[in-house]
Amino acid sequence: MSEEIRVSVTVNGRAYERLVEPRRSLADFLRHDLLLHGTHVGCEMGACGACTVLFDGQAIKSCLMLAVQAQGHEIITVESLAGRGPLHALQRAFRDCHALQCGFCTPGFLMVALALERSHRKVDQEALKEELAGNICRCTGYRGIVNAVSRFLEESDERSADA
Amino acid sequence: MLNMRVLYPPALVDLNHIPGLESIRRDGDTIKIGALTRYTALEYSPVVQRHLPLVADAVRRVADRQVRNRGTLGGSLCHADPAAQMPLCAVTLGAQIQVVGPRGQRLIAAEEFFVDAYTTAIDPLEVLVEVDYPDCGGRACAFVQHVRRHGDFVTLSVAATGVRLHDGRWTGLRIGLGGLANRPILCAHIGEHLEGTRLDATTIREAANLATVGINPHTDVRGSAEYRTHLAPIYVERVLSMLSERGERG
Repeated sequence: MSEEIRVSVTVNGRAYERLVEPRRSLADFLRHDLLLHGTHVGCEMGACGACTVLFDGQAIKSCLMLAVQAQGHEIITVESLAGRGPLHALQRAFRDCHALQCGFCTPGFLMVALALERSHRKVDQEALKEELAGNICRCTGYRGIVNAVSRFLEESDERSADA
Repeated sequence: MLNMRVLYPPALVDLNHIPGLESIRRDGDTIKIGALTRYTALEYSPVVQRHLPLVADAVRRVADRQVRNRGTLGGSLCHADPAAQMPLCAVTLGAQIQVVGPRGQRLIAAEEFFVDAYTTAIDPLEVLVEVDYPDCGGRACAFVQHVRRHGDFVTLSVAATGVRLHDGRWTGLRIGLGGLANRPILCAHIGEHLEGTRLDATTIREAANLATVGINPHTDVRGSAEYRTHLAPIYVERVLSMLSERGERG
């Protein structure tokens, strides 16, 4: 057993500090050390995308990073979308477009969509499918998901045009 | 590699803390790209789009957005997957790979850098710091790949670049094949066959049939030797047709 290393990270705007084994993946760190269970672990080898989080604003697969590499960085997880008030625009779009069934893959898709919105990158339908290609859904098929993300991005454009 | 339990390293060194390795710059006729440059940065770099269109084209086919946000050029080259996009581009474009170690710095030609599958000419005490590509702004290029599923490991990849002269003839063609040998290879014999031609359909078909000359593909989980032999001419024909069309469009 190797020596534990101190890791300080900001997750969803809150500072955390924990002692972790260097071999700990970022996904396991979020789930087991910070008890943020919204980030799901599917394949544990970078294929399914369920563990996607934002790392300094960019979508990454948290099973492919070590927790110690997150030292000093900022992470956003799916928990950032949940509040006590009304649903987040992204949650609403997924509900309205029937973009989930069992929900296991959903956190990953939500985080990719959020990163895309924040990047302000304009994507057409084909490019959107490319952006979502790192995530696998095994129950709904992808049409509802593409529609939901598409609607969320359109609404986001409208919101920023109004602002 | 760690997640798949393929490697069990006793220690890991995180290169992300070394400053200055994440850069894309033009120095005369050379495009110099730092080892820690992420695939996404290559994808959106105006310098890469203008001066290394083959890399710009191929990098979009690497895995998926999340992986491209994190994966690096240096990482791909050192991993040396025989079918992967970045090693193939480096060989096809004749890149020079700069490594640094206790005995100083040295440049290794991409063709010599890839020694065997997942094996490079880099010494265990050295680290890859930069990749130097010749400016390819004036060349047409095309890239195709065969994958079993979107974003999966590549079974076979083909890259091509060349210059179309004013009279419609082509010169300086470089055709690279990935996934057909233990490392990406530059097919000089195909380039020679195409030198001075107009890349018409007949010439392209002849060249495609040369794709398997002197090649003895392997069988693995991504495809059998027979299947790779079957695919090679098809994909060479495809990449050359694409190159020809792009050259005509200018």
